[in-house]
Amino acid sequence: MGKGLFEVLFEYWPIFLKGLWGTLKYAFIAVTLGSILGALVAIVHLSKKKAVSSLAAVYVNVLRGTPLLVQMYISYYFIPMAIPALNSIDKIYYVMLALTLNSSAYVAEIIRSGIGSVDRGQAEAARSLGLSGGQTMTRIILPQAVKNILPALGNEYIAMIKETSLAGTFMLYELMYTRTILANKYLVWQPQLIIAGIYLAVTLLLSAGVKKMEKRLSVSD
Amino acid sequence: MTEIGIPLIETVGLTKKFGELDVLKGISERIYKGEVVSVIGPSGGGKSTFLRCLNLLETPTSGKVLFEGAELSEKSTDLDAYRRKIGMVFQQFNVFPHLKVIDNITLAPVLTGKMSREEANAQALELLEKVGLGDKAEEYPRKLSGGQKQRLAIVRALAMQPDVMLFDEPTSALDPEMVKGVLEVIQKLAESGMTCVIVTHEMGFARKVSGRVLFIDGGVIAESGTPEEIFDHPKNPRTQEFLAQVL
Ligand SMILES: Nc1ncnc2c1ncn2[C@@H]1O[C@H](COP(=O)(O)OP(=O)(O)OP(=O)(O)O)[C@@H](O)[C@H]1O
Ligand SMILES: [Mg+2]
Repeated sequence: MGKGLFEVLFEYWPIFLKGLWGTLKYAFIAVTLGSILGALVAIVHLSKKKAVSSLAAVYVNVLRGTPLLVQMYISYYFIPMAIPALNSIDKIYYVMLALTLNSSAYVAEIIRSGIGSVDRGQAEAARSLGLSGGQTMTRIILPQAVKNILPALGNEYIAMIKETSLAGTFMLYELMYTRTILANKYLVWQPQLIIAGIYLAVTLLLSAGVKKMEKRLSVSD
Repeated sequence: MTEIGIPLIETVGLTKKFGELDVLKGISERIYKGEVVSVIGPSGGGKSTFLRCLNLLETPTSGKVLFEGAELSEKSTDLDAYRRKIGMVFQQFNVFPHLKVIDNITLAPVLTGKMSREEANAQALELLEKVGLGDKAEEYPRKLSGGQKQRLAIVRALAMQPDVMLFDEPTSALDPEMVKGVLEVIQKLAESGMTCVIVTHEMGFARKVSGRVLFIDGGVIAESGTPEEIFDHPKNPRTQEFLAQVL
């Protein structure tokens, strides 16, 4: 059995802390960049032209319909192999690329359904007053859609915190990677439980935050 | 009919299909400036669709919609510019919940460059006063009753100083005690000379305010005439049957 849980936590807390920091950081970067990209994808998806809109649909379906781990492998091994010029780029960027693209697909759907949740009558009223399509979107639809979009983005961040655990496979220093580090010191079961505990604590905390945000945003109904 | 000149709104052979469903089967109608026209008829007959075609919220399948002789359904038409002249009031109010009452009203006039913010504010307060909402300017719509929301929606449309107002069953979603206040506002508006097209199930109201009544059934105007002609001496058996049911 060896050392107890608290003994390990006490002795190696800086390693776990660094891992947690990595997890939060990578998830944040992926969701932030993913949100920008996802917003663009959502705009394309909302296009009235069928051909244009289905382009976005394919993008979303491919990224949501294949496992993130597979996307990471493709990004990590395939891209540098296919384009040798990119070989010098730090591999970490390929992992981040996969995380970002994956997140952008989910965010695109979040934004699209957020916009779709606004009653059709709102757009009709705005257009009947003579507002343009763009004015209607920015002044009437989006301000109301945010209420649904922001909490869902919070949930996407929480989901991404769990997803980044796959990045440890590619030697990114995040929470799951601490397992590899400590396994070298013949510590196996303790780090796993500690890691699980940290994930749980963080996601519960953030979920509570999202709930609170949801409540505050819904006041204006 | 004694009207002369160009109709304010004219439809020519207007049809509308939703998929396989023929909702409007060729409606040709003229509405002149200053007219108050009520549209009655059985549910599903196409009243709302007809009304929504007048400002192209629904795109006609074929036929024309003309505003002062200009064809709205033409691709080159600046539709937004024409919609600014056509106010619309919906059954479900569709007030903007994220904007204060005053901002609901001033948004369009300011955003479209029709007025400065000061002008728009002054006009909004004046209009609110007229419909008995003078003390609600700084409230959010969630604080308003259904009747107050609908009066706000009417004021919001009037703030664009339109040439015509379209009403789609403006009182159907209201509790009975709220109906009167809203109908009074519409009646005053009609009496002030505003051109109005009103889809309604309130037959008493239609008889009182309108100069002309259209009975729409099965996607066509099955009968039209003065309130006396339609309500007291309907010729079409379908009109007679409908009125027997609702009166
Ligand atoms: N967007 C739409 N898509 C498909 N069918 C529609 C749509 N809008 C209306 N319809 C159908 O068109 C027909 C006419 O509808 P419309 O709303 O114009 O009737 P109405 O006379 O206003 O009825 P009501 O008195 O119930 O409001 C109905 O059968 C309705 O189901
Ligand atoms: Mg209707």
